Amino acid sequence: MAWDNTTLFVDDDPADRAFRAEVRDWIAANAPTELCNRPTRIDPPELKPWHRRLYERGWIAPHWPKDHGGMGATLTQQIILFEEISRVGAPTPYPHGLNFIGPLIIDSGTPAQKARHLPPILTGDVTWCQGYSEVGAGSDLASLQARAVLDGDHFVVNGHKVWTTNGHFADWMFALVRTDPEAKPKQAGISMLLIDLKSPGVTVRPIQTIKGDAEFAEEFFVDVQVPRENLLGPLNEGWRVANKLLGSERFTTGHPRNAAVLLNKAYQVAELTGAGRTPGFRQKLASLEIDLLAFSAYYRHAASLHGHGKAPASMAPVIKIVGGELGQRASELLVEAAGPLGPQAEDLRLGNLALNPAGEMFEMRRVTVGSGAVEIQRNIIAKRVLGLPSA
Amino acid sequence: MELVLNEQQALLAESAIRLAAARGGPRRARALRAAHHDMDAEAWRAVIDAGWLATVVDEPQGGAGLGLFDLTLALEQAGKQILMVPLAEAAAAAWVLAKSGRAPSVLADLLAGTRLIVPATRAASWGYGDADLRHDPGANALDGAMSFVPFAPSADVFLVATDAIVGLVDRTAAGVAVETKAQVDGATASTVRFAGAALAQVLALGAAAQALTSALHEFLALAAGAELLGLAAGTHEITLDHIKLRQQFGRPIGSFQVLQHRAVDGFIDVELNRSLLYRVLAAFDAGEHHPAMASAVKARTSCAALAATRAALQMHGAVGYTDTHNIGLYYKRALALAARYGGELDHTARFSELTHAVSA
Repeated sequence: MAWDNTTLFVDDDPADRAFRAEVRDWIAANAPTELCNRPTRIDPPELKPWHRRLYERGWIAPHWPKDHGGMGATLTQQIILFEEISRVGAPTPYPHGLNFIGPLIIDSGTPAQKARHLPPILTGDVTWCQGYSEVGAGSDLASLQARAVLDGDHFVVNGHKVWTTNGHFADWMFALVRTDPEAKPKQAGISMLLIDLKSPGVTVRPIQTIKGDAEFAEEFFVDVQVPRENLLGPLNEGWRVANKLLGSERFTTGHPRNAAVLLNKAYQVAELTGAGRTPGFRQKLASLEIDLLAFSAYYRHAASLHGHGKAPASMAPVIKIVGGELGQRASELLVEAAGPLGPQAEDLRLGNLALNPAGEMFEMRRVTVGSGAVEIQRNIIAKRVLGLPSA
Repeated sequence: MELVLNEQQALLAESAIRLAAARGGPRRARALRAAHHDMDAEAWRAVIDAGWLATVVDEPQGGAGLGLFDLTLALEQAGKQILMVPLAEAAAAAWVLAKSGRAPSVLADLLAGTRLIVPATRAASWGYGDADLRHDPGANALDGAMSFVPFAPSADVFLVATDAIVGLVDRTAAGVAVETKAQVDGATASTVRFAGAALAQVLALGAAAQALTSALHEFLALAAGAELLGLAAGTHEITLDHIKLRQQFGRPIGSFQVLQHRAVDGFIDVELNRSLLYRVLAAFDAGEHHPAMASAVKARTSCAALAATRAALQMHGAVGYTDTHNIGLYYKRALALAARYGGELDHTARFSELTHAVSA
């Protein structure tokens, strides 16, 4: 029997097992085969029909409460959906609307904001992007400078946002902007605005990534008028609003399967090139797989504790750090397995599978930097969990 | 992260924390090393009285009918406090005796603490060659040797286990010779030589012996993994306390980001390994044997305990280089336990063979 590194991680709960079987059958019949295992990036417009199909099945927002169109599902069920979708190499919907701003609007939005914004997030008709980073505010996000000045019934926004995933495809941006430049600490002068990117004064420019995709963009705001009702939560409390996103919203981003998929590709490529017959390389692959098993066990353990309301404060940063670093190591082994084919720009063909080792590796550079670099995550654990003193 | 324990397990875990803290600790381990005792007889008596061995034996055989998961709650504390007792070894022997069902009085003695039985066994994958042991069925005697046996000087009986035979041999039987070498932490590793040594009892032969020995190896790897996990967790706590207190440049060195990140990486390793270990143990107790998973546990806990103790030595500075400071003993203990029953390299290679055999 072939080795299956998910052997130990079967669902404990019979209801979860039944749900997984139901999802698996449906995915088998409905997965978008044209998008599965594609080595190139799938932009939001291409994803819309698949998003719509998941929406119509009622599975687009497992973690949202039922009265807002979600499933009110447990974290474990949310993970099961993610696992079954990615098991066949199908893409999962982008998280910016469904996992980031959606839950924030549910938590902090006005009835009007909920009525206007939640339905098109569910259907996939509206694409969102996250406007946090600026040139001078990356890891030190609280130093952001984009200004919003309240002028009667609207804000006037001026500034520059950058490294915005899907910014050039997005209809709307949720942005952190400075509304009180004098506030101390800096976090106290920040607000969350929902900005229609079709507004006059907004210029969006795509940025090519190291992989060669136009994954992200930058946006320039010159005297952009944003209606006052687009303020999410109270004025100057944007930092608090943004931090209400719990670790669970980012749970699937750090799923061990992301690294497992790359590792399996590395094994396949190693077979093709003969690298798999080198004991030293086999040792590296095994070592990574063992780390991945430990992380899978941790991930399951964390999800189960979360279900008992006992998830520790370290859970979200640990998943972010380990999931990211293992994914990165797996992608590096994939390139190493390819040997002289590693630097090849065009795709490799493996049977009916096309893959691009260098491209996969370049893409994985993002995961240890985006939404809080792993160094910042380690700082968080050091201070909040280990109780180490500040510098 | 915390384990979801039932009431009985929670009680066991609490009593293990208390017992190990009261009986163990580096000071005690150091005294034993100086006196050339590889085993703490007083602590062992307390462990027997606490019923830890009984966890892995079913109730009809005089045990508590729990499992390796439960025993591991105690093993983790033993590792954390450097408790110099043959808990992993005697529990493995008790588990095998109970499984074989062939020697109830020996098992009863072991559980009562009147006879100590430790495994004398070796897997080819543990490095430095396989066991070299022959069984003469006619004379029912053993010839050859078994190397790197822990606690041999303290044992009354050896549970000899190979792919061909599992049986019991008295340490004092004619034809048995024990050559002992001290290890850096005060433990011992012995070569037990057999020259026509009579088997007191045969527990299994042939395919049954092979299955039992393989399960025993898995048990020992997991049990040693639990001690290593506890050792890494203890090292992490000691080091955290040190870097919060130690001042340089007018502030605690734990305020420096480089040291903070080292401490965080140690913390993450402990968290991941605890989840891995207990997940594998739950399967083991449910009768699912995954030899590759046992190797994953031993490889990763060995690697993590060594990494944690090395990082701890660095963060302790010069005092870590002294013999008087406890942290050095943790490093030595990690070395001994990491090498016992196969180290990171051995188990990673075995994991690779078991999971991704090279196609010819």
